[in-house]
Amino acid sequence: MSKTQVVLIVVVALVVGLIISQVTGMSTSVGFEEAFENPGREFKISGTLDRSQPVVYDPLTDSEMTIFHMVDKNNQIREVKLSKAKPTGLEQSETIDLYGTVVDGEFHASDILMKCPSKYNEHNHSLETAEAGTP
Amino acid sequence: MDQIVYSGEWYWAATLGRVLVALGFAAALLGFFGYLKGSLGKGNQGWMRIGRAAFLAHAFSFLAVIVLVYVLILNHRYEFQYVWKHLNNTMPLSFQVSSFWGGQEGGFLLWMFWHIVLALVLVRTAGRWEGPVLTVFSAVQAFLASMLLGIYFGDYQFGLDPFLLMRESTTNITLPWTRNPDYLSLPQFTDGQGLNPLLQNYWMVIHPPTLFLGFASTLVPFAFAVAGLWKKDYIEWMRPATPWSFFSIMILGTGILMGGAWAYEALSFGGFWAWDPVENSSLVPWIMLVGGAHLLMVNRVRMTSLFTTFLLIMGTFIMVVYSTFLTKSGILGDTSVHSFVDSGILPQLLVYLLTFAALGALMLIGNMKERWMYTALFIAMFFIGVTVAPLEMIILFCLVVLWLMIRAYRAYIPRQTKEEALWSREFWMFIGSLVLLVSAIQITAQTSIAVFNKLLEPFSGTFASLHASTGMEFFKSLSEHSFAPSKDIDQAYHLWQIPLAFIFIMLIAITQYLKYKDTNVKTFVSKIARSFLAASILLLLVLLSFDFAAHEFPRVALLFATLFAVTANVDYLIQVVKGNWDKSGASIAHIGFALLIFGAVISTAQKDVISRNQIGDIRALNEELNNREDMLLMQGDTLPMGDYFVTYRDRYTEGIHVKFEVDYFEKVPKAYTEGDVVFFNNMFFECKEAHTAGRNFSEHMDTHWLFIPIPNERHAREAQLWVSGTPGPFMFTLEPRIQLNEQMGNAPEPDTRHYWNRDLYTHLKWARLTPPETDEDGFLGGRAHDVHIGDSILVSNILVSVDSLSAVATEDKAAYSLLDTDIAIRVHMTLRERGITQPIEPLWIVRDSLIVPDMNQIDDWGLKFLVNRFDPTTQTINLTIWEHESIRRDFIVMQAVIFPQINILWIGCIIMVIGTTLSIRHRYKLAQKAKKDAA
Repeated sequence: MSKTQVVLIVVVALVVGLIISQVTGMSTSVGFEEAFENPGREFKISGTLDRSQPVVYDPLTDSEMTIFHMVDKNNQIREVKLSKAKPTGLEQSETIDLYGTVVDGEFHASDILMKCPSKYNEHNHSLETAEAGTP
Repeated sequence: MDQIVYSGEWYWAATLGRVLVALGFAAALLGFFGYLKGSLGKGNQGWMRIGRAAFLAHAFSFLAVIVLVYVLILNHRYEFQYVWKHLNNTMPLSFQVSSFWGGQEGGFLLWMFWHIVLALVLVRTAGRWEGPVLTVFSAVQAFLASMLLGIYFGDYQFGLDPFLLMRESTTNITLPWTRNPDYLSLPQFTDGQGLNPLLQNYWMVIHPPTLFLGFASTLVPFAFAVAGLWKKDYIEWMRPATPWSFFSIMILGTGILMGGAWAYEALSFGGFWAWDPVENSSLVPWIMLVGGAHLLMVNRVRMTSLFTTFLLIMGTFIMVVYSTFLTKSGILGDTSVHSFVDSGILPQLLVYLLTFAALGALMLIGNMKERWMYTALFIAMFFIGVTVAPLEMIILFCLVVLWLMIRAYRAYIPRQTKEEALWSREFWMFIGSLVLLVSAIQITAQTSIAVFNKLLEPFSGTFASLHASTGMEFFKSLSEHSFAPSKDIDQAYHLWQIPLAFIFIMLIAITQYLKYKDTNVKTFVSKIARSFLAASILLLLVLLSFDFAAHEFPRVALLFATLFAVTANVDYLIQVVKGNWDKSGASIAHIGFALLIFGAVISTAQKDVISRNQIGDIRALNEELNNREDMLLMQGDTLPMGDYFVTYRDRYTEGIHVKFEVDYFEKVPKAYTEGDVVFFNNMFFECKEAHTAGRNFSEHMDTHWLFIPIPNERHAREAQLWVSGTPGPFMFTLEPRIQLNEQMGNAPEPDTRHYWNRDLYTHLKWARLTPPETDEDGFLGGRAHDVHIGDSILVSNILVSVDSLSAVATEDKAAYSLLDTDIAIRVHMTLRERGITQPIEPLWIVRDSLIVPDMNQIDDWGLKFLVNRFDPTTQTINLTIWEHESIRRDFIVMQAVIFPQINILWIGCIIMVIGTTLSIRHRYKLAQKAKKDAA
């Protein structure tokens, strides 16, 4: 067997190992139900902010604790404890992705990604309201 | 329907622009056809001239389009959607210039602009390669031009029209104002939306053009590679392609690093690299091109690893297109912090990507009959994909391309039959490029999770039934196709990238000392030993000045590799190159790259969040020592933080920024002598031995302090709160800020103090921007506290202490207007501020077993008290305190990080650019000389 072949085999083995490690290392996106069935495991949960309930952030008590409610894809609402300062734009967010685990029956999020409305949608509102105002 | 005549509208500009785009598109197609016909077989000068003329027409059209868009921007023509969305009246000229590339249409135009510039250079310099190379360029330009056509086929929008008028956009067209002939005088058209304030930064002026030039320049080596395969001249194309590849490496690398610098300086990512999909997708082509460009040099000397060279050089451009696809199609959606919206050009981008991937693969097949066969297969797959099963066809497409590559490797691309020697330069450079390839695959796999999820969709049912029959969890995950990238950067990237970088950088150190064909091992070892020794000593110095944990061994190994690469290349410069500028480019670039990685590893692995675990508030004393990275700073308080004392002094508004002035003071370490008494965390300690306080109490707690379980009178009298130091002279002010951004949400921006050997980087995590809600008397929302006798609470600047309790005697009840049957308890408290004290006595009243609220308002102090509950068994008093707006103190939540030796990273960047420039000059000279020799 030539050196090049040995090298190629090593490379292929590496890539296979890589793929396996990637797949096992990935977290999966689920609903609250599954996360609460498997406490202690990290999940990603997507959903929207429940605007009917307040977002609580009291920096004087704890500057790294934001508590809010999220509606997941299966329309389940749960309280979320995010151990971060209140992210800017949380109230305006369209969708939320949370990374976290269930600890003692509570969902503790360690990270958050938000999608905010595009400027363009807002603009449409403004144009329509301007129009409504003109006789 | 009557034709409405709109007043004041530059409709002619829209028409002109659209005509120019259409013309440019048609000219690119003609250019492609002309150059193709002109280059087939022995070549045809007539068709070549047609191709050239058509390409020049294309170039002219699109340069005119770009000028026209600028005319619209500089004239603030808000009737155009693109102008309205990316410009407003307050933006200075520099941002007006950069608003051009604020949207996707402008991004495509910028990309095309650079392609045109490069192509015009190539028309003059490429000589006999002009035909094939410009054929590829024309094809690419035709695809890009099609993204700007904005034509509708039924419901399907083909391209985004940069000249779309506001009243014509699909979202507005039904609104009544679009029928108003005078709509331009409506207030909403006197100003535009403006560039997203997050992008209003000078980096926005230089970063995108540089990055796009980098992207555009990867097409040059790709086109030369295609030309080489086309003409079956597997080696000669490399000569002109080599300097271009290094040019591309330099520009693309600079563009990526500018992005990093932008993120570091102006965005609150908390670092210069976040492994964000957008960053990754520009890094991957760079990595592949570095591998490819090095193989170009090897292959010119000895024709080995030809297949890998083609793979890397062509893969680079494919990955650039893939990167565009990922970032512009909206498919990344929820895996990236950068928010992208699907603008409806996903199918077009996909076809662009797949076409060039197919072209690359087909070119590798050196047999016309087979090429046509697979072309037919691809075309068939395209139609099945469009009509029936797109996702299945994409998967099949990937498999066919993979098969074509295997087929080309085995049958078509020439291979050297003689095995290269183990100790030869070409063998190790080959290994190095494979390492880069694996690194690129890993990053791509991690970045493409959203794509994999999409591709798994059609097999959802299959995997679900597999899960049902086997019970394996893995199949369930596959059937749900909802994988998400791990948030653990170490697991997701560093686990692989650090070892790969180690191998690669070790190769940077040694490969220059290896000779082509074969090397005498003994001489090699004797030459390299000195550098190895020097690197080991340097590593020792690094380990002495920085603390690394045992699990950080891979990082330490990588640090060693970077030091070795630096010493070996410096030695090579001195011993071998001896100041010959022409030949020193490679070594200098390698030193720069190694320094860059060294700086990156040190500054991230050794970053120190100095705002961590700082006691920001007396209240926190009652809590356990926590692991918080943020720090709460009340206005006016001076608190220790790392090696500083900080004060949040004030805030002010400047333009769209609210700036928070944080003063830094020197920290004079506190010296404790034997017998000193301190309290810390509500416990008393006596000093056993004189010492200077460390950063945290725990540092000396066991060795220098004696815990006092029951303090005596002296302890109580002398005890002071433990401090690590006292504030010294004022040093400087940092102004972390919040950008007020109505469109995207307010965004924090950091402020950084640069030292020669470290950066102090601070950013706000939270600050109040809107006044807090108050009741009609101006009191803020109250806070409830559970207190015992002897406790103190700090409210604003006022220390409230609970001294004692007493029942109200029956004879006194009348004085309090209480009934005889009431039970009432007085809570004796003292308010203290700056030496002034005032006793207060709020009451807890129970009447007929109901609690009667008794609000106690102390106007002079701006406080209100209410005793909610008293629990006699635990002696706990629950009381709510309201503070008046007038005594409220502002505060911020801040994070501060020290990045040590980050300047080495930036110095490395500059050195790498200098080295690469020298290399390009050298390679260009060689290419020119070869051209002269041939002529």
